[in-house]
Amino acid sequence: MAEDGLEFAERIVGDAIAAGASQAEATYTVTERFSAEARGDALTKLERSVGRSLALRVFRDGRKASLTSSDLSPDALRRFVREAVEAAAFVAADLHAGLPEPVAVPPLAHDLRTYADDVRERSAEAKIADALALETGIRRADARIANSRGSHVADGAAEIAIANSNGFRGTFRATTASLDTSPIAVSGDEKRVAQFGNAAHGYARLVPVDAIAREAAERAAGMCGARKPKTTKCAVIFERDVAALVLGDIFAALNAANVAIGNSFFAAKIGARVGSSLARFVDDGRLVDGMGSSPFDSEGMPTQRTEVIREGVLQTFLYDTYYARRLGAKSTGNAAGGGSIGPSNFFLVPGQASLEDLIASTERGVLVLDTIGFATESVTGTYSRGARGFAIENGERAYPIDEFTIAGNILEMLGGLDAVANDMIFDSSIVSPSFRVAEMAIAGT
Amino acid sequence: MPLDAAAYSQILTAALGAGEYADAFHERRLTRSFRLQDGVIHEAGITLTSGVGIRVVSGERSGFAYSDDLSLDALLRTAKVAALIARDGSPRTQSVAMPPASSRATSFYGPAEGTKLSSESKTFVDFLSRADVAARGYDPRVRAVNGLFAEELQEVEIATSDGRFLSDRRPLVTLFVQVVAEGSARGNGVCGDGGRTNLDYFTERTPEDIAREAARIAAVNCEAREAPAGEFEVVVGAGSGGVLLHEAVGHGLEGDFNRQKTSLYSDRVGERVASDLVTIYDDGNLPLERGTLAIDDEGTPGQHKVLVERGILRGYMQDRLNGGLMGVGSTGSGRRQSFRSLPQPRMCNTYMPNGESTYDDIVKSVKKGVFAASFAGGQVEISKGDFVFMVAEGYLIEDGALTAPIRGATLIGNGPDAMTKVTMVGNDTRLASRYYTCVKGGQAVPVGVGMPTVKISHMTVGGSALG
Repeated sequence: MAEDGLEFAERIVGDAIAAGASQAEATYTVTERFSAEARGDALTKLERSVGRSLALRVFRDGRKASLTSSDLSPDALRRFVREAVEAAAFVAADLHAGLPEPVAVPPLAHDLRTYADDVRERSAEAKIADALALETGIRRADARIANSRGSHVADGAAEIAIANSNGFRGTFRATTASLDTSPIAVSGDEKRVAQFGNAAHGYARLVPVDAIAREAAERAAGMCGARKPKTTKCAVIFERDVAALVLGDIFAALNAANVAIGNSFFAAKIGARVGSSLARFVDDGRLVDGMGSSPFDSEGMPTQRTEVIREGVLQTFLYDTYYARRLGAKSTGNAAGGGSIGPSNFFLVPGQASLEDLIASTERGVLVLDTIGFATESVTGTYSRGARGFAIENGERAYPIDEFTIAGNILEMLGGLDAVANDMIFDSSIVSPSFRVAEMAIAGT
Repeated sequence: MPLDAAAYSQILTAALGAGEYADAFHERRLTRSFRLQDGVIHEAGITLTSGVGIRVVSGERSGFAYSDDLSLDALLRTAKVAALIARDGSPRTQSVAMPPASSRATSFYGPAEGTKLSSESKTFVDFLSRADVAARGYDPRVRAVNGLFAEELQEVEIATSDGRFLSDRRPLVTLFVQVVAEGSARGNGVCGDGGRTNLDYFTERTPEDIAREAARIAAVNCEAREAPAGEFEVVVGAGSGGVLLHEAVGHGLEGDFNRQKTSLYSDRVGERVASDLVTIYDDGNLPLERGTLAIDDEGTPGQHKVLVERGILRGYMQDRLNGGLMGVGSTGSGRRQSFRSLPQPRMCNTYMPNGESTYDDIVKSVKKGVFAASFAGGQVEISKGDFVFMVAEGYLIEDGALTAPIRGATLIGNGPDAMTKVTMVGNDTRLASRYYTCVKGGQAVPVGVGMPTVKISHMTVGGSALG
């Protein structure tokens, strides 16, 4: 299959050149997907499909255009490859646009373990049984779990082939498996939902079903009786998963495309202090078992380990070939398809303490377990989210709180980063250990 | 669209098996876009989405599979995979009959209905260049202008095991502009518009108008101060204030959550859920709007639905599965992101009709509060009902007048609680500028929102300035 995919990609590159492109890059992806949903004691959804798609980038004397298509029929490809090349004529010539110069991808020092046989080999019945077991497990874990939004098992197996007119040829395959559940605790008139899950490259590497069910049930039931806190300023501990969401905003501001178009609060800060000495951020494309690991990025550049913020000092942005040329830097292997820049495995370097240690050393604060909202002001770093979690008093989880906001500025939050836990797991391409910010604004009553 | 009635008949016969219902959703969507960056056209893009999603329903179970290979062999294989959900039942031998040709849905779209994509690359590029010049000319503090123009035509065919064979052609155009201005700090402004129509729309609502609106907001925000933290009287601006309805009420009234009783609005039809000033509609039939559908993605005609009437909950938004299981039928709310996804009950265009107060009366009635003029979006957790919406342009209100602009803050509330605190409703209702997209369960669909100016007596404003 991979060989066929590479031949197909090469043929499309040839077609684009014949249609008038000076350079072209084609990516052919085949993805098998499976998912099942259970609710109560019933299987409620079963989905299984194979999808194919082509992504083509063409350059015509520094003018670029792209085509993405799930219609791979010869007629459609002939027409739309030509139209993509024609559309490039309406784009401004840009001396930085184009394929990367040919470079050898250094051999991997180790197997990245992105492919697990059990994703294809495990039977549908066994996968469905996992979803049903999550539903049983959440109800067994706590008597207040009276309902759910469903439990899910999902997996995928992707084979990717990339060819470009500078001679790059590469294939890569990866699998993913995930489990998640959304129990609802009912207490009087209150309904409290939690969503919790885990993802890995294969089923054997997932957290056991029982553990996921228990944790999810505890998160839903633990919020029963939550109250709205008073408006104040205090320490905020971001638990692992919400900490990773903050890293998503930090990544967006390190993305060289956002820097180049004026959308980053990190712009013009390379070499400057942007956080406390605990602010150590790394992007690593070659991490064993990493969900974002691959030997090369979407334009065939080798992936690498990049220290982005070292002990609070900004070292570099994260680049693809185009924005590296435009900003006078080198690609960091972060091209993510369609001309975008994305994380490989982007994380905050963990500390030594446990989350419980962080809580115990906080006299007054909030532990945030979930946030809602998403509009961080990328140009200034202004941050504001709806939140729920626990009030911390004298080093203990005192009572559940919700319907409040946490607010600050991401640069100030990085400056106030005063404790980092040891609880990170690589279950996504952006991950984080729990961490504490010395002071943020809490808006409640 | 190469599939004919005979092919659908074979595919649905294979899919139905022991199930109660099966349908096929065939989509071909072509999008052409151009991006503006740094004063020049930065790139061009073409996206072609083509394939068939096949669903089999049995009770509350759904089996689903899709194929981007449109050969009959591949589609029959796909149908058999979808049929696995009902494998425990005894298969029927009856075959599914189709009308000889699909019937085209009655359209609420603009003049583009029935036409082809314009493919006018030169016009697209011209719109973006005009937007760039207008934004930069609006204010010397403008530093960066980014833009996107996209023209899309989605053609769908829907064939069902109960013998319906329908088609629809749905145009959608969007011009989106983002501006960064630099004053005492940097400020961001966005604006977009368009809708289910063609390029002629931009003769009336010009690229210059859209770009100047984005530049105006950026110029306001580059002098904005930190938003306050705490509970305040909040005035929500007309138009994009409709995001409030979408989050605080709309999602909680979607049929899946209410059939499963996971929403805080479950089992509450006929009960008071808002102040008697509050009426909320969801409408799939409004001309031009992004959420308008002649038929939904299950072939049910779009409808005007009364969700809340003078504070009383009147009904939910249903797709075929959930409305059927609840015994009320579909309300034309079954939507999907593409052929790769199962339909879900979704909003179309959600809005509040006029009340009786004037904008001036509302603002004058506030001693100390916040005016949220426009919104960047929102999110809700539908079981407890807490929601947020993010202010894109906001001001302090002091002694009945707008004063200093404030930086993007998140406002948080609880659905019925916030709607019960609606104490004034303006007479200036309008639909928001058309660029909102809603995401649910990983599926994005275009929607419309609208509202008059509304006052909420208490709401928590999530800024960082205390005291």
